[in-house]
Amino acid sequence: MSAEVATGKMGSRWKLSLDTWAVLVAFLLALLVRTGVFKHIPW
Amino acid sequence: MADVITVPQVRPVQPALRFLRVIPGVLLLAAVGYAGKLLEQNVGTYAKAHHWTFPNIEYVLWAIVLGLLISNTVGVPEMFRTGVATYEFWLKAGIVLLGARFLLGDILKLGGVSLVLVAIEIAGSLAFMTFLGRLFKLKPKLTTLLAVGSAVCGVSAIIATKGAIEADDEDSSFSIAAILALGALALFTFPLIGHVLHLSDRAYGLWAGLGVDNTAEATAAGALYSDAAGKLAVLVKSTRNAMIGFVVLGYAIYWASQGQAQKVGNKAAFLWQKFPKFVLGFLVISVLATYHFFNKDQVGALANLSRWAFLLTFAGVGLRTNFSDMRRQGLRPFAVGAIGEVVIAGFTLVLVYGAGRIFGW
Repeated sequence: MSAEVATGKMGSRWKLSLDTWAVLVAFLLALLVRTGVFKHIPW
Repeated sequence: MADVITVPQVRPVQPALRFLRVIPGVLLLAAVGYAGKLLEQNVGTYAKAHHWTFPNIEYVLWAIVLGLLISNTVGVPEMFRTGVATYEFWLKAGIVLLGARFLLGDILKLGGVSLVLVAIEIAGSLAFMTFLGRLFKLKPKLTTLLAVGSAVCGVSAIIATKGAIEADDEDSSFSIAAILALGALALFTFPLIGHVLHLSDRAYGLWAGLGVDNTAEATAAGALYSDAAGKLAVLVKSTRNAMIGFVVLGYAIYWASQGQAQKVGNKAAFLWQKFPKFVLGFLVISVLATYHFFNKDQVGALANLSRWAFLLTFAGVGLRTNFSDMRRQGLRPFAVGAIGEVVIAGFTLVLVYGAGRIFGW
């Protein structure tokens, strides 16, 4: 039981908020644009 | 036996499964958003070819209207709902990427002005909504939720405050429904009033950022007016969002002093936990763009990525707005929200006019 609770706590410690995920994904996209992986994004 | 019961409670859903569950809804967001973009491109051309007088309707409005039509007629089937709810994720990613279109100097200049206006708006809105809540004899915590939702940033602020002041689920769903319904109305009324009053892009952008509560609706209301107004609305709304921690902390301390919520331990940790991280992401991208980390083409590519993210957001705004659900939430909280919003919209418009006089816009 305690092990499971500990696992739960460990999971929540590493759980990122929606905000943080959005920032990380945006940074990754910016990096891909900067390194030339995405050369042109049409609109 | 106890172990058998407890295991599923702590075991998280497989990340791969969670990801798969999101796909249908994201595809629906993309389909509705892209249909809006196609309608923008083709309806105007078709009307012109047939010599019809037809206003140029932006993809923003088409995407929202298509979403509203689906949500309020056939409804959004269960399998799409998890993915449709990701519209907030796309909104925040889009705002971070939009940072590439702002130079740091502009942010400091406009952010400084908007910070003063935001402080006045928050203080005025909190005071007025609290007065209205008492006048209509709403429950005190429901009044707090409506006040925070109107003054700061809609749904996120209500959710953050609900946890901090230990409000009822029912009160928070009342407040969220009222804020969302009024946000949907603001989408149509703000641009109309802006055009009637011939507001400049700057004045309108400031007003939309100050007066519309939910970030998605403020972004859409700004973009419906013009690209420049949309950019400014996002900046002002992000400044409002940045205040969320301070307002929630104030209410958490108040309700704890009344013995109706837990005491706040580490105030700095509380502020950091409530602070919207996408505001920091927006600033980081803006600093990088200001110091030429991205070349001109790359800034263009990031701006377009931001537009695609907003396209999904606007489709989500329409798809998650269901008027019959809102009607079921009750009239009194909605009436308080509506009166408050009209007064706050008028008040913020006066603020923007005043700032325009002072700064010569």
